[in-house]
Amino acid sequence: MNLSKIINPTLTGFIRKEFAQVLRDPKMKIILFLIPVVQMMLFGVAISTEVKNIRIAAIYQPSDTAARHIHERALASGWFIPGKGQPGSEPLDWIRSRNADVVFVAPQEGLTAALQRGGAKVQLLIDATNVIQAQQVEGYLQGIASEVMAEETPVPRLPIQFDTRVLYNPAMITAVFMIPGVMSMIITVLTIILTSMSLAREKELGTFEMLISAPVTTGEVLLGKTLPYVVLAMIDVPLIMSVAVLAFQVPMKGAVLVLLLAAFVFVCTTVSMGILISTVSRTQQQAMMGSFLFLLPAVLLSGIMFPVENMPAGLKVFAYINPLKYFVSLLRNIMLKGGDFQVVALDLLVLTVMGALAVFFSVRRFRHRVS
Amino acid sequence: MAADYAESINSVEVRNLTVKFGEFTAVDDVSFSVRRGEIFGFLGANGAGKTTTIRVLCGLLIPDQGEVQVAGVDLKADAEAIKRKVGYMSQRFTLYDDLTVRENLAFAAALRKISPEQLRLRTEELFGFTGFDRSVNSLVRDLPGGIKQQVSLIAALLHQPEIVFLDEPTSGVTPAARLRFWELIRSLSKNGKTVFVTTHYMDEADQCDRIALMRAGRISALDTPEGLKQSSFPEPIYELELPEGDHQAQAAQVAMLQKVNGVGRLQPHGMRFHFTLTHSGLEEGVRDLLPETAVLRRIKPSLEDVFIRVVEAREGGGEA
Repeated sequence: MNLSKIINPTLTGFIRKEFAQVLRDPKMKIILFLIPVVQMMLFGVAISTEVKNIRIAAIYQPSDTAARHIHERALASGWFIPGKGQPGSEPLDWIRSRNADVVFVAPQEGLTAALQRGGAKVQLLIDATNVIQAQQVEGYLQGIASEVMAEETPVPRLPIQFDTRVLYNPAMITAVFMIPGVMSMIITVLTIILTSMSLAREKELGTFEMLISAPVTTGEVLLGKTLPYVVLAMIDVPLIMSVAVLAFQVPMKGAVLVLLLAAFVFVCTTVSMGILISTVSRTQQQAMMGSFLFLLPAVLLSGIMFPVENMPAGLKVFAYINPLKYFVSLLRNIMLKGGDFQVVALDLLVLTVMGALAVFFSVRRFRHRVS
Repeated sequence: MAADYAESINSVEVRNLTVKFGEFTAVDDVSFSVRRGEIFGFLGANGAGKTTTIRVLCGLLIPDQGEVQVAGVDLKADAEAIKRKVGYMSQRFTLYDDLTVRENLAFAAALRKISPEQLRLRTEELFGFTGFDRSVNSLVRDLPGGIKQQVSLIAALLHQPEIVFLDEPTSGVTPAARLRFWELIRSLSKNGKTVFVTTHYMDEADQCDRIALMRAGRISALDTPEGLKQSSFPEPIYELELPEGDHQAQAAQVAMLQKVNGVGRLQPHGMRFHFTLTHSGLEEGVRDLLPETAVLRRIKPSLEDVFIRVVEAREGGGEA
């Protein structure tokens, strides 16, 4: 364990000290190792756009087997429950009176008959008060309908108007899509807050004076205050990755090493952001506030919850300069798709450039503040 | 320069030092020097510029103007070299509360690239010197103020600095710990180290070889404690204790004494009176006028008196 002979003794001293401080405090141990796991479990379940208990009503002739099969399968899928529709009244009213979330209306002549003729049009009435839910409902029904079609008509024709293929997440389990986002969020929050707080704490308690009253270089202080947190974050990454894979069955199709490399570059970026925040904060409280000022927009404009493609142009600009966006995209690509080389390489390149910029500016700003 | 310094008697030289924070001038055109091995005291209220001056001398702050040499090194040329030669103990004992004594010292040593073997030798020596007798594995937050102060001093002395800057080292510790700490300061000075110390306490200032009174960024007075008392109170001061008994007789004696030429105003201090004589030659004459049971003794003005008089003189001068 004689690190000081291999690397700079000052740096070794820093690493020993930071680890002693972090690992002595039971609260810190919880923050570092337990809370990320708990957050993964909670957010994985809670931040899910999966919609359940959708009330479905359907209008079709009893003899219309195709329509009946779709209805039955919908009810069997677990997403839908029967809605109430009064025969004779307008289907639109069923939704208005909140007795159904969706009404499935088969063509007049019967879906079975229409299909035999060659093509069919199905009417869907969806309550779109919740837009995301409405899109989901449509998606679910399309999926179910095409399944039924595939079974009932052995020769594939182009029977129903929608032709949707659900890629990468055929079961449409949103957890699979959300979990990489949650992972990146946890890593961001943890590293930015820990780094900015740890430096602000030194300033608040006056120990920073002692640090710089010794003939240490800015580089030694910066590395000494960040390296331990990079290491701790890199312990957390595999930890939450295993939660993703074991608890949420998120596939790990790509190379773990590439993912770890991406995580390392990303953590260097966020840790630098933490340093930047600490240069403008004198107390731990200010550092906390500063961190959230960065975290909130960073998370919202990352594509974790809202697709970047759907953002207005003005906000898109911010999304494209948001390192979190690239990390989320990397995680999703590597974990879910197996990581197409070009896509991964481009994201990784952009992230690396951003990381280098963040390191550069934080070092400059830090040096300026110290002297 | 090194050769010059070997011959120089001063370990700190400051000429026309000015430090500004925006519009506020914290240190205003200050010049002084500190001799080798002396205990140099900086006395002044909060915000007088003591800490700012110390931070400059430790290489932590770049001054706006002025020449500063510490241990023969020019601040402008090499602030890092100054950091290697001085030890700094700041107002708040700058130790990590959540680390043990051993961990704190190891970190302080790492900052100064002191090898583990050297660290072991130095801590043993300094534990002996300071009388530190707690477990090195105790957390700093569990230690009383006086012990924290010892550890803080040990951390500042690990690298064997030539000059030690102590910024209000005794604030917030018990009187007993203060006394012990001043013994340490004296032995440091005996061992040839220059000790630069700031304080609020007049009794501590009295123990310095020389003191500088600082006020509003300027040095109002600088001398030995004796010299300051002499220059602020050139006339000898006496204390008179009259025999107890008849109040009328006492009053008559006071009135009589007050009429004598060369006797300053008699100021009652409890049961006693303080007064000045224009020169000590008058002492015999005054004694002859008093009953035999009266006690007359020459006393020294306290530094507190000096401080008040210097400040008043400055302010009076400013108005005139």
